Amino acid sequence: MAVEKVKKLSIVIHRSAEERVLDLIQSLGCCELIESSGSERVEAHGTLRRLQDVDDALADVRFVLRFLEPHFSDPDSALARALGKRPSVNLEELETLLGERGVRNLAGVFRDRERRLSEIRSEVGRCTGLLKLLEKLHGFPYSLSILTRGTERVRGMLGSLPKDSIDAFQSDIAEETGSLGEVLVFGGGEKKDKDALVALFFPADSAKRVEETLGAFAFSRIELPAELSDSVENEQQRLAALLEELGAEERALLHMIDTDAEELVPDMRKLSDYLTVLRSRLDTLVRGERTEQVVISKVWCPESRVPDVKKVLFPFETEMELLTEDPDPSDSPPTVLSNPGWVHPFEPLTKLYGAPSYGGVDPTTFMAPFFFVFFGMCLGDGGYGLIMAGLLLYALRKFPITGETKKFFVLLFLGGVSTVFVGMLTGTWMGNMIDAFPFLSALKPLKDKMMVLDPMNDPITFLGISLALGVVQILFGLCIALAENLRKGEYLAGVGDQGGWLLLLVGLLLLGAGTQDLLSPAFVSLAKGMSLLGALILVVTQGREKPGVAGKAISGMLSLYNVTSYLGDILSYSRLLALGLASAAIAMIVNMLATLVWDIPYVGWALALLIFFGGHAFSLAVNILGAFIHSLRLQYVEFFSKFFSAGGRAINPLRYETRYVSICKDPE
Amino acid sequence: MENIMGTMLALLGAALAAGFAGSGSAIGVGIAGESGAGVMTEDPGKFGLVLLLQALPGTQGIYGLLTAFFVILKVGLLGGEPVTVGLWQGVGILFACLPIAVAGYFSAIAQGKTSASCIQMIAKRPEETGKAVILPAMVETYAVLALLMSIILLNSIKL
Repeated sequence: MAVEKVKKLSIVIHRSAEERVLDLIQSLGCCELIESSGSERVEAHGTLRRLQDVDDALADVRFVLRFLEPHFSDPDSALARALGKRPSVNLEELETLLGERGVRNLAGVFRDRERRLSEIRSEVGRCTGLLKLLEKLHGFPYSLSILTRGTERVRGMLGSLPKDSIDAFQSDIAEETGSLGEVLVFGGGEKKDKDALVALFFPADSAKRVEETLGAFAFSRIELPAELSDSVENEQQRLAALLEELGAEERALLHMIDTDAEELVPDMRKLSDYLTVLRSRLDTLVRGERTEQVVISKVWCPESRVPDVKKVLFPFETEMELLTEDPDPSDSPPTVLSNPGWVHPFEPLTKLYGAPSYGGVDPTTFMAPFFFVFFGMCLGDGGYGLIMAGLLLYALRKFPITGETKKFFVLLFLGGVSTVFVGMLTGTWMGNMIDAFPFLSALKPLKDKMMVLDPMNDPITFLGISLALGVVQILFGLCIALAENLRKGEYLAGVGDQGGWLLLLVGLLLLGAGTQDLLSPAFVSLAKGMSLLGALILVVTQGREKPGVAGKAISGMLSLYNVTSYLGDILSYSRLLALGLASAAIAMIVNMLATLVWDIPYVGWALALLIFFGGHAFSLAVNILGAFIHSLRLQYVEFFSKFFSAGGRAINPLRYETRYVSICKDPE
Repeated sequence: MENIMGTMLALLGAALAAGFAGSGSAIGVGIAGESGAGVMTEDPGKFGLVLLLQALPGTQGIYGLLTAFFVILKVGLLGGEPVTVGLWQGVGILFACLPIAVAGYFSAIAQGKTSASCIQMIAKRPEETGKAVILPAMVETYAVLALLMSIILLNSIKL
């Protein structure tokens, strides 16, 4: 129950067998690659090229998947997939699949389609814009070519002009161009538009003077694309037909893509995972040391798995050599936790804080029972516990969840169980539901029989229990640190740092109990003796790092001040009472609101049910969050600080990392 | 009339304890959370550590709540029967709630700022989590002392 010992394996593989050997190592999923600090090495041309090919194929597959997935109707929801419901395939199947599907070609085909789709869309946008403009030009008597190209002697222009200046503009143009010019004003447009659409015709030789007039009148020109040459009605028809055509093409393309998606997406997902697996394997190979004939891969492997590795590599005996050695002091091996089964659900909590350093102590087993009890005390409601445990049991049964997620779910399930116990002992079932709702009064005697303590009426006892548990946990932490120091042979540190505090704290606690007349006078003098001895040890040892006798003495005496930090730590456990009361109080208020609303005629019962379920759901969520975070915080801040420092790195082995499928070995 | 005044003053004390300590915690936890969001932009894997450090200034709110519960239970408004609270007893209870109200408010904000800085520290040096957790806990000492005083004062008022 600890941090496992790890061995350094050097696997020397002949080039011809390198991929197969590494495939076997990958299937075990327990070995982490050691980066080699590159001495002279022969370049891994063949493998590098393979890696490149795999990378390209992976990029293609990912593109196709990204393009097709929005069009795919998945039979499983993403949640189900995340919780482990995946098709299982084996590697040989995937290899054949890769050969069958020409991924390169597929990617090319879909890239073309993507491009065509975006071309269609921008074309549609342009046509729609033109159609809108043409609508405003309704009633234009000439063909549009006069505006876009003009003739030999006449130019045309389309633009907008503020409505109030139209008359002045018309008279000015008439002046400049005489009877050869024409100004057409288009009706339509909103009443509130300040500008009106205006078309202007003038002889080509008066262009310059017309330009000056335009400038004077804030005429803003609207360009028409050269392709518009026919009359307005004809152009509108032409554009409408074009839009129809484009729309039909787009629909056809999308339909094709949908059918392709149905057919291709599952295979593409499998290939994506397969190529990812291949890639990590080839990547490991490339980073090994190599010579002309062999590749040397160095890996970390937990001691307990070394026999597995040997067994799996046995068929390759002639093509490889396996060397086992212990890690050097200069190495930094990864941390592997190995704990008895009942501790496993609590491992994610330690990992959240930080992995223990190699060779250090693993706090998970020590923390597990405390977390279990504290979670229950903070949430402390039988009804909530049953709901929690029920939901999690359902999830665990329905979805094939594995790995860290499974540990976490089991942890929450255990939390629910603990909550039910505490709820039973404090007579809290959905708050005071049994007391508040008269139709449940039959259950009251049963509840009272199981109830041992009512925190609402007697909080001081509950507070006492919380603080007592705090004292137990803190003293336990000190004992673990003491054991660690003794194990490492640091006797002075053990006696001074932990022994001194243990004596002082226990002595002070006994003295405190003595003032309440709970102990006989003999015990009280024993307590006094312990406290004094403890204080003395601390004064003598806590300054041992400082120079000079005076320095040591002063440091030692100042260290006694830390008793306030221990006081703070113990009082911190009062949050167990606070959170327990808070959850009971919120539940009680929800019940009270529900009973109040019940009496409303006609809809009362519906509202009451709504308030009951909604309120308790909210209360459950908030209180679970609070219970989890604060129980965890008590472990991290008050408990871990006594004996544990995270400095390690969790093992990151070469394994099958898949998102869509789970890889299994052939049943043969 | 006097009875009601006494009880009302006691309630005011409970309200101040819960309200101010809770506000301080909210501000402190919020400040730490802002810092944490910044760290996680660079490295989302630090969520666990960041959450831990963010939760540290939340203690004062809980202490305030605890004190408020004590007051309400003491004057019998929650569970048990209502107790007659004289005017000066009510004033005494009000004063007894002030340590956790005031110290809770200010210490939570200070602890929030310390937590925010420690979150920045573990962004660069995640191996120093132990030290990063101790620094805000030093600030909490004063909230604990205030809680202690509030509880002792509350206990010493005989109804």
